[in-house]
Amino acid sequence: MSELEQVAVSAEEHETDREQLIDQLMEKYGNDILHLVYTYVKNQTTAEDLTQEIFIKCYEKLDDFKQQSSMKTWLYRIAINHSKDYLRSWHYRKITLNDKIAEYIPSKSKQVEEEIIAKNEETTLTKAVMALPIKYREIVFLHYYEELTLLEISSTTTTNINTVKTRLKRAKELLKDMIKEEV
Amino acid sequence: MNDPLNKLKNSMKKTVFKDLSFSHERKNAVKEAIQRGKHSHPQLHFWKEETILYILDSIQYEEKHGYEISTHLYQKNDNSFIKSEGQLYTLLHLLENKGIIQSEWIEEKKYYSLTTKGKKHLAAVQEDAPKQRASLKHLLEEAST
Repeated sequence: MSELEQVAVSAEEHETDREQLIDQLMEKYGNDILHLVYTYVKNQTTAEDLTQEIFIKCYEKLDDFKQQSSMKTWLYRIAINHSKDYLRSWHYRKITLNDKIAEYIPSKSKQVEEEIIAKNEETTLTKAVMALPIKYREIVFLHYYEELTLLEISSTTTTNINTVKTRLKRAKELLKDMIKEEV
Repeated sequence: MNDPLNKLKNSMKKTVFKDLSFSHERKNAVKEAIQRGKHSHPQLHFWKEETILYILDSIQYEEKHGYEISTHLYQKNDNSFIKSEGQLYTLLHLLENKGIIQSEWIEEKKYYSLTTKGKKHLAAVQEDAPKQRASLKHLLEEAST
């Protein structure tokens, strides 16, 4: 086989490797990424759409992955950035404004429904965390759900470690107040 | 110390994440998008072999920026990019991705030069033109799929 042919074959193998890797990543982290994205966007369909886009993005960016971080950290970073980009987008701002207007229109059935489920401890805690502003919510989720260390959170979210510490402390205070109100 | 947040993982799994999983349909959609993307990407064999050789030849001894390369092609009577200058940059980018050429930014201009691999290819082609040309063509087609 000539050198030129070898180059050609390796280029082809490289493509197949990349596709297989994305496949494995989806199997291993598909649910984790979907859950992570959900904590940002709070909507199932949107979270699924974004997760799909995130894996496509990973495929495109695979050559940039330099192994200076673990594959998981790299994947999470892409997912977090993509979710935040979505929240900043015009499309998102427009639909949430409509939702906010709709919230002012009282709905009787919604009230009843909430009363029934709200007394459950698990629901209360989850609801409280999901109601936190994003900068606190992401840190609480990454620390208590994903069990990342503060240092890992700092590198995944590209936030200064001291900021992470302060936010975690503040988040706990906020949660305490919220849960107290509920009970 | 009993931190209520220690229960978060369990709580979320039982509530919001209970019916939330990344389905097979969604995974397949990703795979399909990747396949489609591959085909819509520019392909090397889309360009004439001579054009690629002219480009490699033009940066053989000194690095050049895009405009200099396009002037060189024009002098060689190669009009591939005469109406679509942007295509030249797509081709350069592709050659760079294939490791045949490399680039560096000097004062806001991107200068291209041959990599060792590119030099080998060019030397092989120039040494034994007809036979190796077929081989280059083969490489371009294979590398593009």
